[in-house]
Amino acid sequence: MSVEASPMAIPISADRTRRGHLRRRLPKISRSFLLSSLTVALLLATWTLVTDMGWANELFLPKPQAVWAAFIKTMTRGYQGATLLQHLGASLYRILTAFTLACLVGIPLGVLMGVSRNARALLNPLIEFYRPLPPLGLYTLLVMWLGIGESSKLSLLFLAGLPGIVISTIQAVTSVDPVYVRAAQSLGATRRHLLFHVYLPAAGPLILAGMRISLGFTYTVLVAAEIVAASAGIGWMIWDAAKFLLSDVVIMGLIVLGLTGVLLDLIMRGIAKLLMPWA
Amino acid sequence: MKRLVAMLAVVTMALTATAHAEDKPAKVTVGYLNLVNAQLVTKHLGLLAKEMPGVDIKYVKVGGGGDMLRAIAGNDVDFGGLGNPPTAIGATRALPIKGILVINMLDYVEAMVVRTDKNITSLKDLKGKTVAAPFGSTTHYLLLQALKDEGVDPASMKILDLAPSDIAAAWLRGDIDAAWFWEPNLDKAVKNGGKILITSGEMAKRGYPTWDIGVVMNAFADKYPSYVEKFVKAECEGIDFWLKNPEKTAEIIAEELSLPLEDATRMMKGTGMVPCNKQLIEEYLGTSAKKGKFVDTLVSTADFLVKQERLPKLLPRADFEAFIQPSYIEKVVGH
Repeated sequence: MSVEASPMAIPISADRTRRGHLRRRLPKISRSFLLSSLTVALLLATWTLVTDMGWANELFLPKPQAVWAAFIKTMTRGYQGATLLQHLGASLYRILTAFTLACLVGIPLGVLMGVSRNARALLNPLIEFYRPLPPLGLYTLLVMWLGIGESSKLSLLFLAGLPGIVISTIQAVTSVDPVYVRAAQSLGATRRHLLFHVYLPAAGPLILAGMRISLGFTYTVLVAAEIVAASAGIGWMIWDAAKFLLSDVVIMGLIVLGLTGVLLDLIMRGIAKLLMPWA
Repeated sequence: MKRLVAMLAVVTMALTATAHAEDKPAKVTVGYLNLVNAQLVTKHLGLLAKEMPGVDIKYVKVGGGGDMLRAIAGNDVDFGGLGNPPTAIGATRALPIKGILVINMLDYVEAMVVRTDKNITSLKDLKGKTVAAPFGSTTHYLLLQALKDEGVDPASMKILDLAPSDIAAAWLRGDIDAAWFWEPNLDKAVKNGGKILITSGEMAKRGYPTWDIGVVMNAFADKYPSYVEKFVKAECEGIDFWLKNPEKTAEIIAEELSLPLEDATRMMKGTGMVPCNKQLIEEYLGTSAKKGKFVDTLVSTADFLVKQERLPKLLPRADFEAFIQPSYIEKVVGH
């Protein structure tokens, strides 16, 4: 009934809400943007004040100017043989490779476990057991098994990202409305059709949300992964600089890590919008 | 967060200390390096507890100089031990510590081990190989110094930063071709297809001595000067015990580090112990009136680290002189 009624209602209400939306939405965006900028500005001001007044030991909290100078120096002359972009490149390569692998394994695994109860029962113990394990504990074992090279680092990042994707994919698939599935089946859909035209599109938004969270997890273990025998990477740079008490480089590295994380998340959201405009 | 807790702890400690007239710390935390030296004897025989009755004494094992620096910066220890490169870093970054005691001189207890089947007979053969050292430590410093002296470009090989225990594990897996690090882990590499290419003792003869120095936090030293003397006295007793009873010391080292007795004996011989009355001669700390060669080593180490871009600038010599404080030892040995 409501479906029939809506086409008639649309012209009036849509027009009204759209105008109302426009009026309220524009100031709303700039307002939240303003508030966000205020937070950043306040933080910077406090930082400047605290360091200028000499309230903080410069060894622990260097001045913003010193951190900026460290940024410029690392951009142009580099830190221990690699520029900031090279360090960032090494880290992003590790993160993106591991994350891609985690998606390639995690999404099919999650779909399988979501669709088939038997598969879920078979694989659940494994996923549930290693999900809460602290990554650093795993890492010592990974280093012993796989050595100090790239493979142990990638495995750690992969293992950090995998459970998030698997679990959110299972949830996404199991929460697909069975009406869609039955409707498609009654129209003669094969399993293949079901997968690509019902399950994945319906579960897509939730899967992508899981991927975003999982990328965050991967990101948080980066420094841990680069502690052992790396010679490039933002995480390694932070670790190494801490050994020499170069706190300006440490803070600069953390800011770069944070901003890169935000950027990666924005990219993920952009991809989500592009792939799934219905979400 | 930890630092905040530590700061709060210091504040409360300061408050309680002023409340009590008696100058006695409730607890003393000693950070000691995982090395073969007389600090293990002092710890094993409980000599510090004998000097400080009623004080809760806590020993914390620290993996290397980098970790010790962090522990000091985080105010997690009252006493610590540092090799000359971390000391140069700490002094340059104005960490609130002073050097009060020679813990040990490093001879062949630290050395570069190379894989026998890789035909490495000189530093030049390291080109294209994978070499490990704990960054920021004495051996990392000597590795770069030795390469520079031989005219070998460090960029021609892969130099990795690994903790000593990780070096041993990576060596057993075959991931690295050479490593400059220290006992007790060094021996594991030598016994598994390795041979010694160069020792830290040989580098000392070339004019690059490396050593470990006992340090005290300034705040502790200002508040409990007599307890710093007690600490020095206990460590001096440990050193004397080491020099007078080598066999019993070997048993202690073997037990503390879970090593066979013969290995402990050999490692002991690779460590130079300086009796406390000798520490005041020019070769070591020197006296309060005229500081010794340790200052020279610190200046040249800091200079090297500045050239490596690990330190921002070279401090004047006076700052390193101020760091070395033989006054406590002077009181203990009665000068």
